[in-house]
Amino acid sequence: MKTLLIGASALALSATAALAEYPERAIEVTIPAPAGGGTDTSARKLATLLEEELGTSIAILNVAGGGGSVGVTQFMMDKPTGYSLLATWNSPITTVPQVQNVAYDVDSFTPIASTSETAYTMCVSPDFPAETGEAFLAELAAKPGKYTYGNDGIGGTMQMAAERIFQARGIEAVAIPFGGAGETLQNFLGGHVDIYGGSISPVLPYTESGEAKCLIVTSAAPVEALPQAAGLEELDLGAEETLLWRMVLAPAGLDQAIADRLAAALETTVNDPSYVEFLATKGEVPNVVTGEALAERLRNEYDALAKVAANLGLGQ
Amino acid sequence: MDIVTQVLSGVFAVGPVAAMIGASILGVFIGALPGLNPVMAIALLLPLTYSMEPLVALGMVAGIYNGSMYGGAIPAILLRIPGTPAAIATTFDGYPMAQRGEASRALKIACWSSALGGTASAIALMTIGPILARATLAFGPAEYFWIAMFGMASIGVLVGTDAIKGLMAATLGLLLGTVGLDQLSGTPRFTFDQVWLLSGLDLIVILVGLYALPPVIALAEAADLKGLSAAQLKLEPAKVPWSEVRSFVPTWIRSSLIGIGVGILPGAGGNIAAFLSYNAAKSASDDPDSFGKGNPAGVAAAECGNNADNAASMIPALTLGIPGNVIAALVLGALLIHGLQPGPQLFHQNPGLVGGFMVQMLLTSLLILAVGGAAATKVFAQVQRLPGVLLVPTILVLMAVGVYVINGRVVDLWIMFAAGLAGYVFEKVNVPLAPIVLGLILGPMAEQNVRRALLISRGDVTELVTRPISAVIALATLGLIVYPVASAIMRRRRAA
Repeated sequence: MKTLLIGASALALSATAALAEYPERAIEVTIPAPAGGGTDTSARKLATLLEEELGTSIAILNVAGGGGSVGVTQFMMDKPTGYSLLATWNSPITTVPQVQNVAYDVDSFTPIASTSETAYTMCVSPDFPAETGEAFLAELAAKPGKYTYGNDGIGGTMQMAAERIFQARGIEAVAIPFGGAGETLQNFLGGHVDIYGGSISPVLPYTESGEAKCLIVTSAAPVEALPQAAGLEELDLGAEETLLWRMVLAPAGLDQAIADRLAAALETTVNDPSYVEFLATKGEVPNVVTGEALAERLRNEYDALAKVAANLGLGQ
Repeated sequence: MDIVTQVLSGVFAVGPVAAMIGASILGVFIGALPGLNPVMAIALLLPLTYSMEPLVALGMVAGIYNGSMYGGAIPAILLRIPGTPAAIATTFDGYPMAQRGEASRALKIACWSSALGGTASAIALMTIGPILARATLAFGPAEYFWIAMFGMASIGVLVGTDAIKGLMAATLGLLLGTVGLDQLSGTPRFTFDQVWLLSGLDLIVILVGLYALPPVIALAEAADLKGLSAAQLKLEPAKVPWSEVRSFVPTWIRSSLIGIGVGILPGAGGNIAAFLSYNAAKSASDDPDSFGKGNPAGVAAAECGNNADNAASMIPALTLGIPGNVIAALVLGALLIHGLQPGPQLFHQNPGLVGGFMVQMLLTSLLILAVGGAAATKVFAQVQRLPGVLLVPTILVLMAVGVYVINGRVVDLWIMFAAGLAGYVFEKVNVPLAPIVLGLILGPMAEQNVRRALLISRGDVTELVTRPISAVIALATLGLIVYPVASAIMRRRRAA
């Protein structure tokens, strides 16, 4: 009994000691995307703020490839010391495993905190015969296979977001995968595809100039910048919300005290006015979800997308 | 008038001028070190400028972009290492010139050609860009498919005398281009369950191996213990006589137009511009056989073409808000940080800033003359004084570091060495390397776009040729295949 007590208190002591000293050296953050992309720029900006908050330097390692799976796989080999973290968007964790054979799953991590999020939107040209989200879905449902929609890539989160809505309404539209929102926008403006599917900020100037009519966003709530677009809640599709969101994870088995320390630091830095302002330029808003709630968010999204992927014949 | 003063007073402030000069020097070095590329440098440095004036950030982008496009030519000429993918075509004639002892002449020609191409491109950005940008929207998947086919048909110009080996090389390139996740179905191809193969073979990894390793092996074989002495090193004055400069003028005009045309299309890059310019120069030459053996016009065409791509690639980004490449995307990001919304209204909302950036693209092109011509060329040409025993390990380390930092993966080093050994064997048996690279670049572009076009047309093949722009490019492609054959037959008849 005595030894057990001593053992327990020693353990408690060492845990507090670990926390008291953390962080005592530089933290390495893996970004599973090349330098210069959306995830990279958000993470780098956040890292500069986090360095101040934690009082240590942060080294960034870009490991690109496989839609994020290469970087995440490499990251999985790191130990849960608190000195190696993953800054990723949701696709490599919840979408990519649906279509690729990867060595990790949604439970392979210690969830730290989500940071920011944004919805996708679907837009049509001004002469499209619908003016509301409801009419848009009705038109698509009435003419199965007639309309093409551009998206960010086959089995990507944007396509999943669209198909969740389509499958719930029995809609059949032809998916045309492009290399990213810029390419989709170019093909939409040129009239090569009927529907723009992608992130909000690239298409925003064209809603103002009247060349694009955005009728739906993939978040439950509507988006202020797109007043004509319906949120999924008002279409009774609130449960089908799919967002683009970003998070920080650690390898499974990280000391809870360190995870809490990191989550608290992220909570502060993400809500720093300069970061909120930075996010706004990219059409993103901060949303910090930590610990078990974050694990659940990941699991729910993974399960919902697994169903969509299976219906699309993409699942493995 | 008001706008002009506004633009010029913004550009010629202390901060932006310092940023342009510093970034141009930095850009030349970044381009010169294989593996380090302008995208990486700009992505790392941009966050530091968020708190500064926008024109400081944009001046830095312009300097690094233009400087590095010229810098890539330096190792391409001296060591046959393409510093950037766009410098591949520069190796074709630049390296043979260097081996003949004309390194500094080749560097000088590259420097002038880069500056001229960049300047022409910046002028296009300022004048015709906004008008042309709208027109590029007419290019859909079907048109991009034909552009890729046009590029592939031009392989015929590159293969030289042994057509069979050239076609084999091109086929190998096409095969390598199929590795990875199929972008249209999500199916992994030739990945053998290896995660690192999912995104395919990285172009620059293959390039550095294929082009840089064989000359390194050759250097090691020669095992020379001495480099050139200071006296032997022909550094100056690298005389490029006036008559020769005049002979480059048609090449420069042609390459500038090609570079601008390729640049303005989102998605096609400086490497394609350089290849097409090189091929055009070779086709137009009276002595096409001298290309690939150290013809200065080849260097002029390639370097002018890849720099002419730069400013033009900003046209769709600044006028439509559509980034044609990653650097343009980073520029859009920088504008957003400063509260500017890229898109059709950008120029009206903030003419001082957009105009300022255009002027910066022009000035940094001209800065290449000072930075490259005066300083960098002399510094880098000293490389030739290093004896082989020192040069070989130095190059190998540079290659390895450069390749590793691209994706942060050790496996890329093995791919690079494998590509290098293959390149060494190919050179021994006279299989040309350029068609491999072209197949690797153009294969995926052609395949993805033809499949997209067929998805859109619901499988109707005739839509590939009935759209007017498609039809024109398809006919040009056909002409490119038929013309050399027809002219060869004509020549033979005349000779007989």
